Amino acid sequence: MTKKKKSILSDQRFIVLLVIIALSAIFSFMSKEFRQYTTILSMLDFSYYDLLMAIGVTFPLITAGVDLSIGTGMVCYALIGGTLIRNNNIPVVVAMLICVVLGIAIGALNGVLIGIMNLPPFLATLCTCMITRGAGSLCSATPWPTLNQPGGWFHSIFKLTIGTGRSASRYPIGFLWMIILVILMEFVLNHTKFGRYTIAIGSNKEAAALSGINVKFYHVMVYVVCGLFTGLAAIAYAAVTPTVQPGTGAGLEMDAIGGVFVGGVAASGGYGSVVGTLVGIFVIMLLKTGLPYVGLQANWQQIITGVVLIVAVLIDILKEKKSAH
Amino acid sequence: MGEVILTMKDIDKSFPGVHALDHVNFEVKRGEVHALMGENGAGKSTLMKVLTGIYQKDSGTITYKGKETEFHNTREAQDAGVVIVHQELNMIGDLTVAQNIFIGREPKKGIRVDDKKMIEDSKKLFQDLNIEIDPREKMSNLTVGKQQMCEIAKAISHKAEVIIFDEPSAALTEKEIADLFEIIKDLRKKNLGIVYISHRMDEIKVITDRVTVMRDGGYVGTLITAESTKEDIINMMVGRVIYEDPKEHSMVAPDAPVVLKVEHLNAGKMVQDVSFELRKGEILGFSGLMGAGRTETARALFGADPKQSGKISIMGKDGQLHEVTINSPQDAVKYGIGYLSEDRRRYGVVVQKSVTENTTLATMEEYCNGLFINKAKEKKITEKYVKELATKTPSTDQLVVNLSGGNQQKVVIAKWLTRDSEILIFDEPTRGIDVGAKNEIYKLMSKLAAEGKSIIMISSEMTEILRMSDRIIIMCEGKVTGDIDISEATQEHIMDKATRNID
Amino acid sequence: MEKLKQNPIVKKLGLNRILLVCILVLMFVVFKVVLGSKFPVGDSIKSTLNYVYFLGFLSLGVTFVIATGGIDFSIGPVMFCCALVSGYCMTSYGVPCAAAMVLCVLIGLAFGVFNGWLVSYMSVPPFIVSMASMNIAKGIASVFTKTQSVSWPQSTDPVNGWFRNIASYNGFPVGLVIFLAMAVVCGIVLYNTKPGRYILCLGSNSEAVRLSGVNTRKWRMLAYVICGFLVGIGALFFVATYTTVQPGYGDQYNNEAIAGCVMGGTSMVGGLASIGGTVIGVFIISLLQQGIMAFGLGKGQQMIITGIIVIVAVYADVSARRRKN
Repeated sequence: MTKKKKSILSDQRFIVLLVIIALSAIFSFMSKEFRQYTTILSMLDFSYYDLLMAIGVTFPLITAGVDLSIGTGMVCYALIGGTLIRNNNIPVVVAMLICVVLGIAIGALNGVLIGIMNLPPFLATLCTCMITRGAGSLCSATPWPTLNQPGGWFHSIFKLTIGTGRSASRYPIGFLWMIILVILMEFVLNHTKFGRYTIAIGSNKEAAALSGINVKFYHVMVYVVCGLFTGLAAIAYAAVTPTVQPGTGAGLEMDAIGGVFVGGVAASGGYGSVVGTLVGIFVIMLLKTGLPYVGLQANWQQIITGVVLIVAVLIDILKEKKSAH
Repeated sequence: MGEVILTMKDIDKSFPGVHALDHVNFEVKRGEVHALMGENGAGKSTLMKVLTGIYQKDSGTITYKGKETEFHNTREAQDAGVVIVHQELNMIGDLTVAQNIFIGREPKKGIRVDDKKMIEDSKKLFQDLNIEIDPREKMSNLTVGKQQMCEIAKAISHKAEVIIFDEPSAALTEKEIADLFEIIKDLRKKNLGIVYISHRMDEIKVITDRVTVMRDGGYVGTLITAESTKEDIINMMVGRVIYEDPKEHSMVAPDAPVVLKVEHLNAGKMVQDVSFELRKGEILGFSGLMGAGRTETARALFGADPKQSGKISIMGKDGQLHEVTINSPQDAVKYGIGYLSEDRRRYGVVVQKSVTENTTLATMEEYCNGLFINKAKEKKITEKYVKELATKTPSTDQLVVNLSGGNQQKVVIAKWLTRDSEILIFDEPTRGIDVGAKNEIYKLMSKLAAEGKSIIMISSEMTEILRMSDRIIIMCEGKVTGDIDISEATQEHIMDKATRNID
Repeated sequence: MEKLKQNPIVKKLGLNRILLVCILVLMFVVFKVVLGSKFPVGDSIKSTLNYVYFLGFLSLGVTFVIATGGIDFSIGPVMFCCALVSGYCMTSYGVPCAAAMVLCVLIGLAFGVFNGWLVSYMSVPPFIVSMASMNIAKGIASVFTKTQSVSWPQSTDPVNGWFRNIASYNGFPVGLVIFLAMAVVCGIVLYNTKPGRYILCLGSNSEAVRLSGVNTRKWRMLAYVICGFLVGIGALFFVATYTTVQPGYGDQYNNEAIAGCVMGGTSMVGGLASIGGTVIGVFIISLLQQGIMAFGLGKGQQMIITGIIVIVAVYADVSARRRKN
């Protein structure tokens, strides 16, 4: 038996890459403003938190679960961090740490509810979504330090600014970190025990348990990892949002989850790829950034993200149906 | 044979409502193949699940390598060297062969899993076993037989001292079985203790050293294979129940009309060019190995799964055959076909609903005035069938989950009888049903046939096939390989055809 | 306890429901005792009822969906979408009030058809459909109203003020009567008609029902359509009591509606639904919101508490089911 070499054309990630190129070409052709460096820069700026959430939520989705609390969770952590900086004068680095720790804590809570107490994932995380949103709205609207204020250095993690004022040159080094994280998590998914058991849980949870895997532990860990990335996303969100508003964040998870599905995760679990998530998110980001330039008002994005999600999942379902024959 | 490696003494285990194991004794010596035999539901699998820590025993002792032991999960059992090759495959379809074999104990290189080593080790394992499988292949791409081989390789790769084979041959071709026996003989030479669970008498004679027989959750006795005859073992297995002799000849009138004609049916890999006829009042047995495509044929015929091609004709009210299109169970039911699945809990009954709700599920319209359900009428018909089929239930409001397997089966039969289905497909009608209730189901089927219903009966139990069928269709790897009248049928004849186009 | 369970009256009413009513009364007493004059009996009952009107319809609707083993957490935003789009038609395009009310229900129905079709005929997992249609509903509402809030007529409006009588007529709680009547109808549909029987059975074991020759797809879809219809009616009651609707909101009511339903004894696994339980559950949730507000706590705490209630209710159901098997 020979290993069948799959043609690159049957790889969803490659096709999505073509879609990205096509979309960029169309938008650039239709709008001069879209072609500018600042547009690309701002698109990248706003993609980091989406991408970080998406990398995290890729893992629950591979286990055929979901985490709906990532959007409100991210805003909640950013609010708590910002409030502590304002009111308690804690250093920014500690606030960043708190974001990550909170993310891990809520992730662990989700994990326990789903992996150990056996609640349906969408319901458990719908509840933590509400809880984090509620907790966030107890804070007041809080800006994190701007670039020129003390503690503003953290902006440079994502965007390196050299010089001041109009003449300053800005470099999106955040993108570099993203690439590193994607490669790292792709490695984790494919070459570590954790990744392998994530796939195993999504593919056949009972068989995984019978093989002697501590399924409960790994199931919890999947959500912890998702929470960790949500915590990181909170930092990226604070860096691009002048003032984080309490009570917001609902709906942000949609962009992330939509991106993962565009990237080719299986709707029934058992397969997914972090590189796929990366390209998937860029389709969403391109649509979000590009559509206003071609005359569609901002609110269309929501409708389009919803439709894109349904279409991505339908493609996966139809593919599976076809291969079943 | 060496010293005793494993002893199970006085093992007792109850589930709610079932005394699954009643003080069972069992032992395995090093270098022996010990058969564990018994009817379906005799408790063999449960005993092995208790041994490997999937279930916890209520009482009794397990002594392994001279020490009293209790495994709390499969992991502990594996680590100690007791491994099981499951009847149901426990493979993770999205992972590769090598990844499956080493799951839960991957060799590591730093933090990464050493896939290279896993592939090398798998290759070595397969070489030792003389099997050709690419360890890099995705598990879901392999045939059932190959998957089974992987499962065996996985079991052996644990430094196993006791290996349990739970009906390994059920899904294998003749050649694969021969290979398996070579492997088992090899393991015996290496002084391992082997437990071999099977129904097949001829296999037992070929491969095993001793036989322990169980019946209805109890221990019956242990024999030395070489000193006992087939009849001895059968007598122990059947015990008090006297098996009726096989049917001598068909009970169908020679001029009985054909009610169902299937021609060149194709549906996926498992149903290839299947043709057969069913006559009025006939019980048509479908025999074959597990995975021969019998259930798939029935499901495709019933419209439960899609089919690629084929012509189905059914006798209409005018007594003539008419070609019909069946694309969904709805169509099939409309044409008077009823299907009783092998897996009642999943496909037969709605367990959390009452006997009444299940009985009228297929005939709702008849018990409705417009949209509203006429509950009195519904209850009346249910009571009628409870009485007629002697279903044991305290009331018609009882939830089906609380009934025994045999009585659940009767509820499903009642469902199709209210529909007045002329053609009934029984898929493994007595699986998971205790011996007493089995006979009732048999009588019921004979009665239905005598009343003019036509029955397709899929069964993996040879005795059932030989006792019930008027005619037997034999399938192998998705094709019909035999169509014989009961008067010509023997066990050997059927087995021969069931393995016909396997090299 | 066992003896109590066997009592014929208790058996008929259901122990759970009796306990729930006790909780409802107890809650009321506790609020009154603790809060005293901050919890005026008359006003509190009135505002609780106002809440019950719209939430009750959402809960009844989602009961049908959960009975099939599915979920719909787009109901809150869909309700807002119904109220916004039809209200905007009335205020900006001069559509008569009666026609706008019909339109409102029709929009709900359309979402029900959309959701049901995707879940039932295209086999898209219900939680994905919910996420997508939540976004689409919010997006449509925002695009249509150009992100403006919409106010339905006040009761003093000489032409269209009459429409408020559906909730309350000279202080008489018409809304309560309509809601209870609708609950009775829902109960009859669920327990005494063919569609209801099919919905409950397929929630319990869809495959067995399909193999009995029942068109499970049609009936599963019907559950979502009924849900959409009731959400449309819920929207009418929302504007009849609260007048103004803002685009971009409504998520919070998802959880509250699901909480009322699950608390009343409808199982998330499907197949088991209690309309009576849902009605009592809705009263408890509505009273709770008033209590929380009377305590001087805000939306944030409301969300957190509702989230925790759903988790507890679902966990109770999951573990009860596990004990049974």
